[in-house]
Formats: sequence, structure tokens, C-alpha cells
Amino acid sequence: MAQEARLSAVIVDDHPAVRAGVAQWLVTGVPPIEVVASGGDVRVAWTGDGATADVVVLDLHLGGPTPALGELRRLTEAGRQVVVYSMRADSAIALQCLELGALSYLTKAEGAEHLIEAAVAAASGRAYTPPALAGALAGDRSTGRPTLSARETEVLVEWFQSESKDFVGQRLGISPRTVSTHLEHIRVKYAMSGREAPTKAALLARAIQDGLVQLDDL
Amino acid sequence: MRIILVCAAVLLQFGLGLRPLLTHGYPSRWPAVAAFVVLACVTAACCGWVLRRRPLPVALVAAATPVVLAASFCATAAVAPDQRFQAPDWSFGLVGWHLLVLLLDRARVLVAVLATHLVASTGLFLAAGVPERAAFGAAGAAAFGALAVQLAVLLITRVLHRQSHEATTEAEERDRLATRMLAAHQWERDRHSVFAGQLGATLPLLAGLADGALDPRDAGTQRRCALAATQLRRLFAENDEVPDPLVHEVAACVDAAERRGVDVSFAVSGAALPVPSQVRRELTGPVITALSAARGRARVSVLRTDEEVRIAVVADACADVVTASTGRVVVECGVHGEHLRLEARWRKRPG
Repeated sequence: MAQEARLSAVIVDDHPAVRAGVAQWLVTGVPPIEVVASGGDVRVAWTGDGATADVVVLDLHLGGPTPALGELRRLTEAGRQVVVYSMRADSAIALQCLELGALSYLTKAEGAEHLIEAAVAAASGRAYTPPALAGALAGDRSTGRPTLSARETEVLVEWFQSESKDFVGQRLGISPRTVSTHLEHIRVKYAMSGREAPTKAALLARAIQDGLVQLDDL
Repeated sequence: MRIILVCAAVLLQFGLGLRPLLTHGYPSRWPAVAAFVVLACVTAACCGWVLRRRPLPVALVAAATPVVLAASFCATAAVAPDQRFQAPDWSFGLVGWHLLVLLLDRARVLVAVLATHLVASTGLFLAAGVPERAAFGAAGAAAFGALAVQLAVLLITRVLHRQSHEATTEAEERDRLATRMLAAHQWERDRHSVFAGQLGATLPLLAGLADGALDPRDAGTQRRCALAATQLRRLFAENDEVPDPLVHEVAACVDAAERRGVDVSFAVSGAALPVPSQVRRELTGPVITALSAARGRARVSVLRTDEEVRIAVVADACADVVTASTGRVVVECGVHGEHLRLEARWRKRPG
């Protein structure tokens, strides 16, 4: 694959100012991500340069009151790596997006740092769990949820409460790297439960490749 | 109303029905006598409940209605065909009153049963051969007269019933309003005393500033002002009618801190759940303390599940913050390097 080239993204958001801001963050981030297309309609992710972009940054509320969950499902079913970027900090919607195969869910209150990390992770098929999503996962009481260890729940809660992996590491006596590993492991558990999606399968394959899980765990 | 109807049934049965039964010649007398006795028995049975002003039992109504209809049929059948709907046919009009007593509360059933009664009587009348026009007219007039009075009684009863129902509802509504007004007055009085109690820390501070005893440039005074301002904002927010009072109150504290120039990141996870106002006060108390101590940055988070609420503040604050756990709310406080972390937890059910 053309991974040696710059990573590319397509932005779907109905507010031009948000599109411009997100594009600026991605282009100037480390590593920089090229924005190949952007628009207020999900069609930009299916046509032209947008169709081959590594990451889709999708606003869930495209001008209407109903979240664009159908659009998200179609994208993930086509194997696209989607980062949902939403106005709403609704835990239920966030969990639903993960269930549909989104690799990350960010609220617009979360800034450039989390968005760039999420986009870079998504471009290589990895999940990223920002603090608000960690809060949603920590509060998840749905019946189909995976079983998390006490330490994993602790990591989720502390990450949600402090927004700082250094701080979480300090509190729990582990390294920030271990905090990230726990978060990735939790996301792999979520990918293994619930309905199937190509992006979830890719996430699992990636986790096995990274040594996060063993084949026997599946 | 039922008592009047029972009296009417008794009077009509013995006043108008007994004489033709005794004086007229019937082709067969005993079915007519039996019907008369049965109808008298039904009236007597109804008296037991009506005089005690109790509603008639459903079983009695269900059993007596067909009995009354059958008795009427027997009595009418006993009358010579040419005398139907005339004086010797004493049961036709009378039965309507019995049915009124039995079915006054069930207007639709009553109308249906009366119609059945009319159809059965007319059927018997016509079965004896096509009558003369004059006889037909007389029969029609008799039937119409009896039924019209009974239907009028039914109509009047319904109207009275509806009016009394409306009057009762209105009286209840008036009582409810009066109770609510009393409660509102009480609530307002309580609120005044609560406000006075919670303003306790603010008033000496304001007095000190006014007298010049406290220096507004002093960091300690500024801390006390920040604390008082946040407490007041929370107190005002407590009385707002909002769907999610806990988040509303925490947001008010966050807003007060942001007005001081603190950069606050605020996140909420989970759906709203009812939290008693005293517990909300105990949960937000530590948040106020930590936020008013924050220098430049703070993270405030509310994490809720069905059984637990956890509110945490991580702030770049100095260490001298004192908070204590209360009976229901557990407060955990610690300093990690430059940061103060404070968490208030409340479990819905202890244990």
C-alpha cells in the first residue's frame, strides 16, 4: 500500500468553519495528514479523492436532528476507517457508533490533540479512545457489553476524569504506555462483542499483529 | 333516584296491575299470577340494596334482568290476543320500571333490553294475526306512552348524574389548588431560611470588604470570594426547574470558575438519574472547594451509572483543601505533583 505517502483524510461536516478548523489541525499535526476532500454531505467520502482517503472524519449531525448512523454503517461496511466527530456527548450514541464499527468517537469539546491521535490511529486500522468515550465505556451497563477487568475499568474512569495518561499512570502506578495498552485492549474486547463489521475484524487482525491479543483469546 | 323508581314500580304493580289480574278473565290465569309474584320478588330483592343506598350487585342484575323479561313474556302470553297493550295487559308498562331499577347505571344495556322487550311484545301481538287499524293504533299509543316516560326518566337521571360528577370534580380541583398554594407558601418560607443559612459565609466576607478589614488584593481574600461566588451560583442553580439538576448545578460551578479565568474542561457520561437535593449539595460541595482553589486549569467530570454517581475534579491547585466525607457521599482527595484530585462518590443503595 502507499503508506509511505502522506496519510489522507476526508472531512464530512455541515459547518464550513468546522471543516476549515479540522483541516487546519490535521494538516499542521504530527504526522501531518492531507485533507483530500471535504464537504457538508457524506457523498464526498464516496466520490473523487474522498473515496480513497485513509480516514473519514464524520460529523454525526449533518444538518438534521437525526444522527447519520445509516451513513456510518454504510462506510464501515465498505471497510472505511471512520472517526466520528460529534456535537453531542451522548454516551448511548457513542456506544452505538462503536457497535457500528467506528474506530473512534470524539466530542467537539475535545480538541486537536485527540482528533489527530484518533485520525492517525484510524489510518492504520487502530482504535483510539478519547476521554469522553472512556467515560461512556466506563458507564456502559448494556447487556451485551464485554467483561472488563477491575484494572481496565479503573483505567477508563481515571482517563475520563483526568484527560492525562501521565496522571493516570501516576495514580495507578503504571507507565503511560501501559495506560494506552489497557485502552486498546478494552477496544479489542468491544470489537469482539456485538455485531460484525469489517473495520472490527481489521481492528482484531491489527491487535493480533501488534501482540495485544493472542489467537487463543478469540 | 333508585328509591323513587322502586316506589314507582311497587305502586304501579299493586295499584294498576293487581286489579286487572284479579278482575279480568284470562285464558290461563296461573302464568300471569306467577309473573306477578316473580316481579314482586325482584322488587323486594332490589329493595335490600336500594334502601341501604348501595349499588346493585352485578350478579343480581345479570340474574334478575332475564327473569323480569321472561315474567313479562309469560304475563303477556297469558292475556287474550285481542286485549294486548290494553288494560288487562298490565305487565307491558310495568316491566319497564323494573328494568329501570335494575339497569339505571347501564344506559346502553337498558335501552337494548327495553327494545328487546318491545320487540317481543310486538311479536306476540302480531303473531295472533294482523289486527285492525284502530287496535293497532291504540296498541302503538300505549307502547309509546309507557316507553317515552321511561326513556325520559333515564335521560333525566343521566343529566343529573353528569352534573353531580362535574360538581365533584370541580370541588376536588379547588381543594387540590388550595393544598398546592399552602405547600408553595411553606416551600417559600423554607427557602428563605435555607438561603439565610447558606449565605452565612458570604455576609461576613461582604461586611469585611465593606469595612476595609479585608484586603481585596490579598490572595486569601480572593480565594474566599471565589468560593463564595461559586457557592452562590450553585445555590441559585439549585432552584431552577431543569431535567438534569445535578449536571445543571455542576455546570453552574464550572461557569463561576470560568468567569474567574480558569480553563475548565467539563464532561458528562451516562444518563440523568434522580439524586436527592441534599445529596446533590454534598456532591457539589467538594467540586466548589476544588474549583475555587484552581489556578488556571481544571477538569470536571460527572460519571453516572444506574447505581452510582462519581464527580471528579482534577485541578492545578494548591494543596490546602479540606473536605470531609459525609454519611452518604464519600470524598477522596489527593495531591499528585502539581495537581489536586478530588472525587465525590454517591452510591444509590448503600452496600
